[in-house]
Amino acid sequence: MVVENIVDGGILYGLIAVGAGLATGLAGIGAGVGEQGIGAAVVGVVAEEPGFLGKGLFLMLLPETLIIFGLAVSLILMFAWTPFA
Amino acid sequence: MPVLRLPKFGKPVKYAYITGRVRAMKTKLIPHEMYQRMLGMDIPEITRYLEETQYKEEIDLMAKDHSGAELVEYATFANLAKTYKKLLRVSIDEPEFLILEYLRRWDIWNIKTILRGKFYGAGDEEIMKYLVPAGELDLEFLEGLAKKERIEEVIQAFDGTDYYEALTQYDGQMLSSVENALDKLYYFRMERAVGGTLSVGGGLLLKYVRKEIDVKNLVTLFRMNKAGIEAAVIHDNLLPGGKLHEEFSRMAGQSYNEFVRGLEGYPFWSAISDVVAEGGSVSRIEARLRAYLVRYAWALSNYHPLSILPVLGYIVSKETEVSNIRKIVRGKEAGLSAELIEEQVVA
Repeated sequence: MVVENIVDGGILYGLIAVGAGLATGLAGIGAGVGEQGIGAAVVGVVAEEPGFLGKGLFLMLLPETLIIFGLAVSLILMFAWTPFA
Repeated sequence: MPVLRLPKFGKPVKYAYITGRVRAMKTKLIPHEMYQRMLGMDIPEITRYLEETQYKEEIDLMAKDHSGAELVEYATFANLAKTYKKLLRVSIDEPEFLILEYLRRWDIWNIKTILRGKFYGAGDEEIMKYLVPAGELDLEFLEGLAKKERIEEVIQAFDGTDYYEALTQYDGQMLSSVENALDKLYYFRMERAVGGTLSVGGGLLLKYVRKEIDVKNLVTLFRMNKAGIEAAVIHDNLLPGGKLHEEFSRMAGQSYNEFVRGLEGYPFWSAISDVVAEGGSVSRIEARLRAYLVRYAWALSNYHPLSILPVLGYIVSKETEVSNIRKIVRGKEAGLSAELIEEQVVA
């Protein structure tokens, strides 16, 4: 029964979809954890030096790039490598 | 004794905001090379220069009532208090708790100022000029104390607080025992407060405070050993709690040369060795030790960038800056030579 389902794509499809969700979701949480410290520090510096805003925003967005990796993995899972394609 | 309430302990990220902020505030401190230039200026020029810095607001505000060295002195004190209050205002939880605990030294300073003022019969206006309300006791309360007639009334006002026990040691003759008791109380409370925190920075803060006590005791030893004072009297004046307390206790009462030889090999020796070798004055040695402490505070903050230590570094640097400016303007006013003032300036 299970084997049949996998061949049909039932459970496999489901697991791939969950993996794709986790890839983006966990990357997002990780980026958020990274950003909380940077964001707080940037707000602190900008309160004293408003001119630092541009640089600060750039630093704050650095962890955001990690989500792109997660998103890329999700997209590959969903549309490039899998029966969904 | 009030129950010590500790905040919930957070991750280092709780410190991100305040450390970011003090690092930005640090860039606004007066650079060391500026002290050299200030030595060549007269007092109005120094005042004009300070008006271009963070002291502008206080100088503008006080310029109508004061002038010259007095204006600079009051303005820098007011700015110091404002800056420290700001640190308290912009921090929460553990950082706020530790900053307040450290800043209680200004409460001690203010109590000492009021007691000394009353002891020597200074007027309340005169006393109020030297108050720095940077700690827990606010200006209103302190002014109320300054207006009291007698020392006993001032002491009575602290009934029910931690300070009361230390203040009751006043015997009507000398203030030194009360002052010592207040210092001891401060360091005792500091140790108790830091002991209640779980973060690494708290332990390093205590390490710094211990070093600070050692430096204070060392300066006391330099002064008293040089003056040939008895060991027993020196022991009474040494503050407990320093890391090197036992070693320093043994050094009390030694001849000056023997004492200086015994200091070789300690971490602070490289900071003072040349001045000691030249037979420099104690105040010059004190300035060097102070500079060593400031460097030490910032060095500690590099170990744990997201902790109370960068804030401590800033607090120490700001205090040093204000004391440097005051030394320069007071020295200029007294007509001291630039070389003599330079020796006292902590760079």
